[in-house]
Amino acid sequence: MFTFNIKLWVIPLIFLSSHLVFAAPMGFEGSVMTMGDFNQNWREVGFNYAITSRDALGLTHLEFRSDDYKDKREIDTLNYTRLLSRWNSEHAQSNLWLFMGLGEVRGVANNQSIDSKVIASPGFQFDYETTRIYFAVTHKLYRASNLNHDNTSIRAGFSFYEADYNQTQPWFILETKYTNQISDKIEVIPMLRLINKNIFVEGGVNNSGQPRLNFMYTF
Amino acid sequence: MKHLLLVVGLGLSLTSLSGFATPSYKVTMKGMVCSFCAQGIEKKMKALSETKDVYVDMKNRLVVVEVKEGLTLSQDVINKIIKDVGYAVQSIEVSEHPIEHIQSGMDK
Repeated sequence: MFTFNIKLWVIPLIFLSSHLVFAAPMGFEGSVMTMGDFNQNWREVGFNYAITSRDALGLTHLEFRSDDYKDKREIDTLNYTRLLSRWNSEHAQSNLWLFMGLGEVRGVANNQSIDSKVIASPGFQFDYETTRIYFAVTHKLYRASNLNHDNTSIRAGFSFYEADYNQTQPWFILETKYTNQISDKIEVIPMLRLINKNIFVEGGVNNSGQPRLNFMYTF
Repeated sequence: MKHLLLVVGLGLSLTSLSGFATPSYKVTMKGMVCSFCAQGIEKKMKALSETKDVYVDMKNRLVVVEVKEGLTLSQDVINKIIKDVGYAVQSIEVSEHPIEHIQSGMDK
């Protein structure tokens, strides 16, 4: 378990991590999607249930810490995911997603407890995908008392080859992330993505040398 | 001799009909670009009482639904399921061949 103080730079992670950026942030109607995002300084797990083919509700638990390990946060959010629009063409699909999260943040800053606060995290994601290329842009707002941060993530990549339905398909994905008023650094993460039906795994190392692992599993 | 030929001919016909007694619906899809997303189609189609088997071909954008012997499947039902799962249908072709023939290309 982490013990570290909170810093402003971690706040966007509340909101970034409340809505993991994935190819499909929800599954088919009636399915349950579980997901995880792990890095040296944060751990997030969550699940959502697809009420319809366009709406999902879920819960997320997030723990993260600052680079110097002095600040720490724990976040629990109730999340709503909505597929606003989908465009199906012969060889491609595009989606526009809406995210809404509402929850509580608590933690420790400089060894002092921080009163819990209500956090709201609206955002959207646009993605475009074929069997060979993938692109997604995600922008999220973060609003809480004395907190106002924007977060942007851009993902792009390609598959090494087309694969049959029952085969594992490998992808190269490059993600860049920037959080306003948190850090001047743009995080860059090259990753290997593997997809096999209901299993989705991504792994890589960012430009700070920190490993990252994402996964999704749909029941 | 004529009777013999007639009996043989009928026998061959019956054999060929029983071999293709289970029609398959070859659905050409729009937007089906990843297996993670396509699994919903397979599950929904397999849940139908008429369904014997389902085959998903990502490369050719095909979903093939083979129905149980003596049954048929409404194309409206197929269209609705695929739309509800979040995809679109480009075309539906009814084949006399079972999935194993379609998989091996024997239906062409």
